[in-house]
Amino acid sequence: MTRKILIDTDPGIDDTMAILFALRSPEFEVVGLTSVFGNTDVEFTAQNALRLVELEGDDHVPVAQGAGRPLVLPLRSLGKLVHGQDGMGNTNPPPPRGRLVSQPAAQFLVETILANQGEITLVPVGPLTNVALALRLEPRIAGLVKEVVLMGGSAFRGGNASPVAEANIHNDPHAAWIVFNAGWPLTMVGLDVTMQCIMSAEYLDKLCRSGNPATDLIGRILPVYQEFHDKIYGMGGAIHTHDPSAIAYLLDPDLFETEHLPVYVETEGHCAGQTVPDRRRQWIEAPVANVCVNVDAPRLQKLYRERLSR
Amino acid sequence: MRRFWIDTDTASDDAVAILMALRWPDVYVDGISVVAGNVPVEMGARNARTTVELCGKDTPVYIGLERPLLREPSYAYFFHGPDGMGGMNYPEPKLPVASEHGVEALIETVRLSPGKINLVTLGPLSNIAAALAIAPDLAEKIPMCYVMGGAAACLGNMTPAAEYNIWFDPEAARMVFHSGIPLLMVGWEHCRGAANLDDQDMADVRAMNTPYAHFTIDCNASAIQANRNWLGDPGLSLPDPVTMAIALDESVCTRRKKHYVDVETQSEVTRGMTVVDELGVLNKQPNIEVCWAIDIPGWKETLYKTLRQD
Repeated sequence: MTRKILIDTDPGIDDTMAILFALRSPEFEVVGLTSVFGNTDVEFTAQNALRLVELEGDDHVPVAQGAGRPLVLPLRSLGKLVHGQDGMGNTNPPPPRGRLVSQPAAQFLVETILANQGEITLVPVGPLTNVALALRLEPRIAGLVKEVVLMGGSAFRGGNASPVAEANIHNDPHAAWIVFNAGWPLTMVGLDVTMQCIMSAEYLDKLCRSGNPATDLIGRILPVYQEFHDKIYGMGGAIHTHDPSAIAYLLDPDLFETEHLPVYVETEGHCAGQTVPDRRRQWIEAPVANVCVNVDAPRLQKLYRERLSR
Repeated sequence: MRRFWIDTDTASDDAVAILMALRWPDVYVDGISVVAGNVPVEMGARNARTTVELCGKDTPVYIGLERPLLREPSYAYFFHGPDGMGGMNYPEPKLPVASEHGVEALIETVRLSPGKINLVTLGPLSNIAAALAIAPDLAEKIPMCYVMGGAAACLGNMTPAAEYNIWFDPEAARMVFHSGIPLLMVGWEHCRGAANLDDQDMADVRAMNTPYAHFTIDCNASAIQANRNWLGDPGLSLPDPVTMAIALDESVCTRRKKHYVDVETQSEVTRGMTVVDELGVLNKQPNIEVCWAIDIPGWKETLYKTLRQD
């Protein structure tokens, strides 16, 4: 039986890699994509999400546009340096054929979860604004999703958007606070594992020569992302594996070592967006998450190549 | 007809404010959305429906957010009584709760009549913050939002620094104040002291001998006691009706000015404080208007007009 997944996303280059990974995995029925600001403006991320379902011939998958800014904090920098102005590595792809659904993302999330009670796995791989709004619109969804597997946060690895905060959480820490405190089963696929899993230049080169529309697209949009990783981390054409790792977790959780840890989300000030793990359980109010702490990177990459090169 | 939407955490003074709008000759109330605040949303919706029925109307009453965005709810039974209506235990109204979500109904109604509907908020701003996060265009489609909340003079009732509505959901207030919506903040200080209905005023209201007049004093039985014993005021303070009086007749507000106003969300001591830059020392673009003074006899007469004639 296929597993129904709903991806909330800000494509975005690694989002693109993750969405294509999901659409090309027969284990999943992707019941919708909801878009959010983050890697670039929400208008771009929504159109990019549409382009991706169309590229895979999955035009029936609904795409809803969501929040264009964080809940409480002012909109700060978007990830345009990392992902390009258009979120597609400045390749300016042609407009999608289809249209967005009329509901805003938060409403679409609520309606889809209520219509598929207990069956939806929610996979947020961007800032958590839409998901937080959905929780406040309809608190019952906390008990009606199968589970939440998100890319975001960092337990023991420090941050990327700030010295302490990972970009998705940093982009809307209040939304993250709401999502982490919702009392639903939540797995955090954060920098602890996504930065451990490095796709080398050779790996990517081979992947992008697989000769199908998905890998062709990845090959076109990837250079900006590789340049950013080289400039910041000196990786020489290699990249971290952020959003695809959340999809990998769904396909094979055994790729990951996890720990059940209370995670406190800092919402304000210098450390806004920090996800603080409380290993000794000294902060009783911190909600417990299933935190990925180690990954079998070679196996994950094998799985990714297998799905994408088909 | 002027058109209003009322957002409320309906307890006793909210009920009087709703009554005023429903009985004002040239005002039509499109809908009432209920938010968590003085009482839980189900109780608030019941109290709102009781008020609508008393006025012989069928105004739809929608339920909105059942909790603040981040904080835990903290109800005000101690002030308004166990039913929020002075322990009057009014019978269950026949008017049903409208089926749509309060936030969605507000968004739809405003979008159908852009520029036509003024908003009056009598409770915490959670519904309005959620609506603006989902539909930022509402900020341009609502001509004026009259907010009962805050304390420009830094005279708090929940804490020394903060008024209850803003304190209850400070993040929501911060979102709304910075959303660009035209907004007049009517602080708690304007219902104090001489703006109270004193013993003579209340006797005059009773002497009107209409159901509306009796309702106004009856449902505030707990509030009168709490206001005297706890806040040291001479009689009945009616923050929501003062705000409604200004929405119905702007001449009741005799001095107003636009300032940069922010809401404190980080501190425990000053949580929910509305910080008004009266002198403009921050050199920031003013974002909302503040009511600095009201015409006290004018406010009372505005109320009395709606209570007199049967």
